[in-house]
Amino acid sequence: MTVDRPTFSESWYRVTAMRPRLRSTVQTYRQHYRGQMWHVLRDPSNNQFFRLNDAAYHFVGLLDGQRMVQDAWEICNRDLGDDAPTQVEVVQLLGQLYTSNLLAAELPADAAGMFDRYKKRVRREVGGYFKNLLFIRVPLIDPDVFLDRWVRVFGLAFTKIGFVAWIILIGIGFWSLSGQAANLTRQAGQVLDPDNLIFLYLSFAFIKVFHEFGHGFACKKFGRDTQSGGEVHTMGIMFLVFMPVPYVDASSSWALRSKWQRITIAAAGIYIELAVAAIAAVVWSRTSEGTAIHAMAHNMMLIASVSTLVFNGNPLLRFDAYYMLSDALEIPNLAQRSKEYIYYLVKRYAYKVERARTPAHTEGERYWLVSYGLASSIYRVFISVRILLFVADKLFFVGALLAISALFAWVIMPLGKWMNYLATSPDLMRSRSRAVGLTGGAFVVFFVGIGLIPVDEHDRAEAVVEPRQMAIVFMREDGFIQSTLASDTHVEPGDHALVVATNPALEAERDQKVAELAWFEVQQREALANEDTAIVQVLNNAIQYQKYDLKDIEERIATLNLRAPIVGQWIAPNIEYMQGAFLRRGDQVDKAGLVADLDSLFIRAVADQELGPRIKTEVGEDSVVEIRVKGRPDLMFYGKIRAVNPAGQERLPSQALGYAVGGTVQTAMDDPEGTRTAEQFFEVHIDRLEDDEGRVPPLFSGQRVMVRFKLPSRPLAAQWWHQIRQLVQRRFFM
Amino acid sequence: MKKSSQANEAAMVTASPGIPSAIWRNLAYRPRATKLPKGLDAAWNAAVSMGVPFAPRRRRFMQRAEQVVALADNYKDLSDDRLRGQCADMRDLFRLGRQTDDDLIRAFAIVREVAKRQMGMTPHPVQVAAAMAIESGCIAEMVTGEGKTLSATMPATIAGWRGRGCHIITINDYLAARDAEWMSPIYQFCGLRVASVTSQMQSDDRRRGYDADITYTTNKEVTADLLRDRLVLGQKASLPNVLLGRLVDGVSGGTERLVMRGLEYAIIDEADSVLIDEAVTPLIISGGGGNDEQIEAYEQAAGLAKEMEVSRDYEINRRFREIKFTNVGRQHLAELTQKMSGLWAGARRREELVNQALTARDLYEIDKQYVIQEGKIVIVDEFTGRLMPDRTWRDGLHQAVEAKEHLEVTPPKDTLARISFQRFFRLYRRLSGMTGTAIEAQHELWQVYRLPVVVIQTHRPCIRQQEPDRVYATADHKWRAIVSRIKQTHDTGRPILVGTRSVGASELLSGLLHKERLDHQVLNAVRHAEEADIIAGAGQVGRITVATNMAGRGTDIKLGEGVAAKGGLQVLATERHESGRIDRQLFGRAARQGDPGGAVAYSSLEDELVQRYTSRWRRLRVLHKAKGEGPLEDSQPRRLSDQAQNRASRITFRQRKAVLKADDWLDEFLGFAGAEH
Repeated sequence: MTVDRPTFSESWYRVTAMRPRLRSTVQTYRQHYRGQMWHVLRDPSNNQFFRLNDAAYHFVGLLDGQRMVQDAWEICNRDLGDDAPTQVEVVQLLGQLYTSNLLAAELPADAAGMFDRYKKRVRREVGGYFKNLLFIRVPLIDPDVFLDRWVRVFGLAFTKIGFVAWIILIGIGFWSLSGQAANLTRQAGQVLDPDNLIFLYLSFAFIKVFHEFGHGFACKKFGRDTQSGGEVHTMGIMFLVFMPVPYVDASSSWALRSKWQRITIAAAGIYIELAVAAIAAVVWSRTSEGTAIHAMAHNMMLIASVSTLVFNGNPLLRFDAYYMLSDALEIPNLAQRSKEYIYYLVKRYAYKVERARTPAHTEGERYWLVSYGLASSIYRVFISVRILLFVADKLFFVGALLAISALFAWVIMPLGKWMNYLATSPDLMRSRSRAVGLTGGAFVVFFVGIGLIPVDEHDRAEAVVEPRQMAIVFMREDGFIQSTLASDTHVEPGDHALVVATNPALEAERDQKVAELAWFEVQQREALANEDTAIVQVLNNAIQYQKYDLKDIEERIATLNLRAPIVGQWIAPNIEYMQGAFLRRGDQVDKAGLVADLDSLFIRAVADQELGPRIKTEVGEDSVVEIRVKGRPDLMFYGKIRAVNPAGQERLPSQALGYAVGGTVQTAMDDPEGTRTAEQFFEVHIDRLEDDEGRVPPLFSGQRVMVRFKLPSRPLAAQWWHQIRQLVQRRFFM
Repeated sequence: MKKSSQANEAAMVTASPGIPSAIWRNLAYRPRATKLPKGLDAAWNAAVSMGVPFAPRRRRFMQRAEQVVALADNYKDLSDDRLRGQCADMRDLFRLGRQTDDDLIRAFAIVREVAKRQMGMTPHPVQVAAAMAIESGCIAEMVTGEGKTLSATMPATIAGWRGRGCHIITINDYLAARDAEWMSPIYQFCGLRVASVTSQMQSDDRRRGYDADITYTTNKEVTADLLRDRLVLGQKASLPNVLLGRLVDGVSGGTERLVMRGLEYAIIDEADSVLIDEAVTPLIISGGGGNDEQIEAYEQAAGLAKEMEVSRDYEINRRFREIKFTNVGRQHLAELTQKMSGLWAGARRREELVNQALTARDLYEIDKQYVIQEGKIVIVDEFTGRLMPDRTWRDGLHQAVEAKEHLEVTPPKDTLARISFQRFFRLYRRLSGMTGTAIEAQHELWQVYRLPVVVIQTHRPCIRQQEPDRVYATADHKWRAIVSRIKQTHDTGRPILVGTRSVGASELLSGLLHKERLDHQVLNAVRHAEEADIIAGAGQVGRITVATNMAGRGTDIKLGEGVAAKGGLQVLATERHESGRIDRQLFGRAARQGDPGGAVAYSSLEDELVQRYTSRWRRLRVLHKAKGEGPLEDSQPRRLSDQAQNRASRITFRQRKAVLKADDWLDEFLGFAGAEH
């Protein structure tokens, strides 16, 4: 017999003669959702809520402790006809009310059952911690009394006057920022500097306290205004990806009838934060750079505006915006129900479970449930993987632990439940083979997809642009620098000197030699005159030697004028400070004094031990690679691999690539220069390629770029496996 | 000193020491059935149940049985009085719970000696091994006719000596009364009172029955008595209330009306039938209820059903036995009932009633699902082909069938208390059982009742000739083949027992045999005692007996004179059953206790089992090999039946588990209404 809602229940006899009623402390509130009337029951002792539809409430309302369930049910049937709850539904309803501790019956409470339920709840909560290590909540204090005392003052923020004041405050904030845009963006770039992180976190925690009290006061205020409780009994710390931040339980906003009030409560945190951001903006603009208060104000301004909008303003995460959206759509429990609705769709249409009951109450809800369900689950997977990878990268063991717990909570448990459902659920009595087949098919498609179909794989390496030809200019003789050529001039070997230096000692030596030569020549002339041939012979030789010496000295003096060894750009940024300096032979003229051919640049990429060999063997020379400029995501150029120099290199071509100054290559901790890498690397030399219009990529020497290598296509599974192995290896073999 | 010891003795007489009183046991300890494990526990449970059969239980029990047999000489020459004295010693030992393993073996040997003296039957070693298995909380699987009844006396005597009661559960009143009567000499010799509780008894007799040391009763009686006791006590009676009441004014809160004294130990005969086949059957205690308006409504619904047309107004799903209205049908029904009022005003109730009427009309057939006896609908258990006069369908279906047959519609009754057998038997503190066929259900017996199955070998080797199944393409071919086989075998003078699945099938076969002028007896829908007589006589020369599968269970078919020489009893199964156990029970009727005999199953691809539990595609693949009327010559068609059987068993197990889980859920959620029962 298929009847959607069978009237009779086999278990009816167990409740028929009972005279239960709601416990005297239970409060009820009426609410409208999407044009339907609902009744919310609240248990003040634990602030839990229970939602009943109109028919169910009609029945519950008839239970006064005098009337028997049977009588109440019959009255319901008479009053409501087809809408009356069936016996099955009544049994279910009574059971749920009872297990929520909302029902009092004449029997003494089943203490063992209550303990059982309590234990179960605790176990569920503890299990919840482990399943969700990234969002652990620890309740700490009961702020209700505090809120009660101060709501008169702080509650004003949620009045019309308060709102106007808020608008003005925000206006002032913006006004004080006007004309400071450049400053703001420049400082924003430094926000993530390691030495700012601790301040950043402190500002964050500080602001979140305000944020949470915002919720608390808003809840309290509206609860008072409407005489419907507004109790806030739990405040505590949530470990959000291990970072402690405060939280408050404002779930008593449920009891409020106006959805706008509920939305305001959910938005109160953001509202307060924006006000804090405005104040911080004013402080920031009035203090001078370099002071601690200026830096703090900048941090707070950023967190209270940008981060809160991104974070709390994202309805796909279960933070403020989610509750706002849920209330705005009038779909309570949006996340849960959208999940159920998607399950329902699968059951109903894929598995053909005819008895599947839709969790949607109205037509309009469906579209919201579907779209929210899909969007949030995709987003959840995405964000979870990102968080996991992030944590695993920073703290490997914690990350591994998290990954395992996440694997359990998000993959194994749901899969297990699904399998169990497929194997044993009575829903599938008729269509089990279909359901199993379809699911199996979907899995096969999925695993074939990630296991067999090759997908493009890319990897990237940090690189620096360098001139192909470059000559460092050294002193070839000790000397005092006299005059220098300005840096950044184009030079050619025939041009005048880059650096003119003098060496008085050499000059004196030359002068001496000249004098000696003159003396010998005089002597020689005298000897000639005396026709003393033997002496002439000796003197001739001496003169010869002297000339050699002189020539040598003159050549040495000539080398004091350093000329460009190659055609190119003379680069010596600090050369003007070198005037009059004494440099020894072999010293560099300037710390970075060199002549470089800037027209023939090439790119030197640093590939690690994993990528390097793959580039050498799997990508190969002459392959085309993509080049992206750091900080300019819009630019993309192409290059061609010229050579891959195998491992053995330890010195980075540029400090810029190293960890210490923001590069991605790990450098040895004890290296003050920051160029010795932690592990040996492969160097890949890449030539720029002209684009279609014959333009050479406008790169500059010394620029940092990212090179993206296209590796041979592999199935995704192989790629992931490789990456996981790398992650593990990096931790254990270094 | 002397005085005090006398006082002690007096106390011993009035209340056996160490044994709590019946009131205490009924009130202080309200047994709660343990819940079925969930999640990983359930997986572990299932895994353990895979390992349970590998414990070397049979060997252990056989060794112990040999020890018992070896002790026989010690007691052989004792006088009856000395033996009684030994019994009394044992009784004290067991009552105080101070027995050792050796004492147990001695106790068994004593009971064995008593059986020999009182009954003239000495339990074989295999019977003793079975008794050992029962004593240690297992299900002993013994081939029918190996003397289960005698085996049970050993553990029952020991349970009797323990003094906390022992229920031996049989499947019908006849067997309960017969076994109690039959075995009473043994118990009486051992100093124990034995009684039976059957359906016709009044509560005083019942109370006396349960007060006896050993009580033979049926699963229905014992379950119903528990429910009635619970109703007497009500939910509010608590031990302190009752005790205070007794102290203060001698009122005992209804405790004097209780008939049982707690659920301590049960030995279930035909355990598979009780614990598995009937597991989910709820036992219901019902009171009055129903009114004229409701009764009229069923008749009106039957009338409205005539206006409904299949496929236009509704669809029939025979596999799941369901009626589904189409939208046209709903509208049609609304139009038909436009002028009616009361129950007919609401769509839900209206559709429910007509749906039931249609279900009764199109899916419930007379002689298949029910028969009419004395103007009443009697349900036929489809599983066993047996009549179930106490049962009614629920939710108004019973009334709908009555309305369809134009019988007087009995008003639906209100349920007062209700429990399923599987829940009830889990309430016993100790449970064990015996049956002819259990091994097929060993996983379920372990998972649900924590009962391991021990297969006990036969006393004499079985020489039954089991022929391979004969599978035919159509039911028609099958019946023709069956009739010719009966004729052929009948000509040799061998007695034949033909098992059918339903009353309808046995009638069909009876018609066919009449046409062939073959004299035969049909066994269905009769009282159990006569049923047993007919079955007992089925072993005579030239006898043809057509019976539903389960008829006369528990009764031996003794071979007539000269039958053994002709080859013994030939059993023919006309259809494979959903459960392999029931097939085996039927086959087991032939070749008992070393007698000759043969068994064969006939089935067709049109049989309900195959139709319901295999895919059409597989059937077609088998079918294309069919040539003419002969049986399908291949192992594939036979496998088809096996697969269907496996699948059916799996599904029914799952259903029973689901029922148990649903009960657990209810217990948890309806805690405010007190525990069930």
